[in-house]
Amino acid sequence: MANETADIRQPRLRLPALSLPRDGVWGNRKVQIALMILGPILVLTALAPLLPLQAPLETNLRATMEPPSIVHPFGTDRMGRDVLSRTLEGVKVSLLVGFSVATIALVAGMIFGTLAGFFGGMIDRIVMTIVDIFLAFPSLLLAIGLVAIVGTGLVPVIAAIAMADVPRFIRLQRSQVLSLRSRAFIDAARTVNASQGWMMTRHIIPNTVAPMLVAASIASANAILVEASLSFLGLGIMPPAPSLGNIIRDGQTYLQQAWWISTLPGIVILLIAFSLHFLSDGIREELDPRARK
Amino acid sequence: MLDYALKKSVQLVVTIFGVVTLVFFTLRLIPGDAASAMAGDTMSGEALELLREQMGLNEPILAQYAAYLRDLVTLDLGQTITTRLPVAEMIGKAIPVTLSIAVLTIVLTVIISIPLGTVAAYMAHKGRARLDNLLTGFAMIVDLMPSFWTALVFLLLFSLTLGWFPASGMVSLDDPAVFLSRIALPVLVLSVTQIATMARITRTSVLEILSEDYVRTARAMGWSEFRVLFRHALKNAALPIATVIGLSFGNLLNGTVIVEFIFTIPGIGNLLINGINSRDYQLVQTLIVFYALLFVTINFITDIVYRALDPRVTF
Repeated sequence: MANETADIRQPRLRLPALSLPRDGVWGNRKVQIALMILGPILVLTALAPLLPLQAPLETNLRATMEPPSIVHPFGTDRMGRDVLSRTLEGVKVSLLVGFSVATIALVAGMIFGTLAGFFGGMIDRIVMTIVDIFLAFPSLLLAIGLVAIVGTGLVPVIAAIAMADVPRFIRLQRSQVLSLRSRAFIDAARTVNASQGWMMTRHIIPNTVAPMLVAASIASANAILVEASLSFLGLGIMPPAPSLGNIIRDGQTYLQQAWWISTLPGIVILLIAFSLHFLSDGIREELDPRARK
Repeated sequence: MLDYALKKSVQLVVTIFGVVTLVFFTLRLIPGDAASAMAGDTMSGEALELLREQMGLNEPILAQYAAYLRDLVTLDLGQTITTRLPVAEMIGKAIPVTLSIAVLTIVLTVIISIPLGTVAAYMAHKGRARLDNLLTGFAMIVDLMPSFWTALVFLLLFSLTLGWFPASGMVSLDDPAVFLSRIALPVLVLSVTQIATMARITRTSVLEILSEDYVRTARAMGWSEFRVLFRHALKNAALPIATVIGLSFGNLLNGTVIVEFIFTIPGIGNLLINGINSRDYQLVQTLIVFYALLFVTINFITDIVYRALDPRVTF
């Protein structure tokens, strides 16, 4: 105990202007590691058209299945297309899917979860019965089933994955609202005659945002993995448009002759998913001191 | 207890009914109808009309719904459109294959992950954090590897390069040795992910229990560390671990679809993908319902068993 107090009293060192921040969300080590991985991937993806790479759809039949080299850092596939350039294009799709699914799930979860939790009774029962029905499907299988009906492509895939996530968000939001509803500050708001709309938007929702954001960042990582799985199964983004899943599927046939086509984009997915999880872990640690080890 | 089980059973029945209804009406949302979607551009008007008649699509929708419910209950699942085989028989053949993969995966996962997680918790408890960090970090990465990618890497490594397992070939339950050698790699792929998750859960629950008073008491009584760890700590952590095994079944089902596809194993996952590719909605609809049934039933059992085993939960 004595040591700890001594530490706090020590004068803080003045940090040079360019060093990493030490506290707050940006000072969290997990967040920093996540951004160190995610940052370069984002920059490369954004700058892809400017890089000296072959265009993602351009074929070159004189340079098929070439191993990784300086000209083709990820090698080329069976049609002589540059795997790195296709991977970066695929990352764009992945990030779009991850971001859209997380946003849809967050917004829908907030709205229905708040309504169900705040009003209770009939609304709650109806919403939760529907939620239970959707949660009866394993998530990838629900997405597969929906894609089978609505068809393949970017928008159907986003919709299908979001459908599997929305019920989970509704449930999380509802449980948060339920525990907030009986707190003293809501009673206080009620005694000063606050309207229900005011209580929901000013008192309840702001207090539920942080855990929902953490869940959203995990959901975006999962959505990226599910999109890749769907595309891999031939039910997601259809070739020739590249997506990390269908690039890996393409390479499956030539696994022995050209290991790089499938393996390298897989590592990219792994890095993205890993950094998004790390990001959410770090944010949670900062927002909830109990989560810190 | 009985009250709780009853309440949960009612909920289960409502959910199952909801699932069946949802699947039925979602399929009717297909633009045009199921028959024309199934036929694609391959059928003329008359053949299409015949298919419609066969599928009962000319009946009023509620009559179709009633007929569908009756067929499900009596397991009269009709024939597939492409192969004209009875759907019930095809699914019946595929189920044992998928279930053996799932069950073997769970067994392998339990055998490896529980000792691993317990040891990691012990290390963390004793302050030897480096090994624990290594283990949890590794578990996190493995957990996030897309299963289809892991499958391909394993295929490349163990089948194509090292030649330990066959990459393709007949799968039949009649010859257990051949069957096992074919499903070994898929089971391994699924286990890797499951082990990572389970070891992490085991670690967390055991770690929590290691700081309980009765563990200290057990130590004070002079029991060996081994006995304290496995008899006292692990035993008390077993319940949450068992629950998570039950709940991770959904992930496992997701995974079987992918490994069956990659290793061309004729389980229900492969049946589903083939069904979608040949637009066989009869088959797809039945399979999706089946997956959901399997999933909610396992969750139901997990829930009930948890309640029944935990002496602290009273009714």
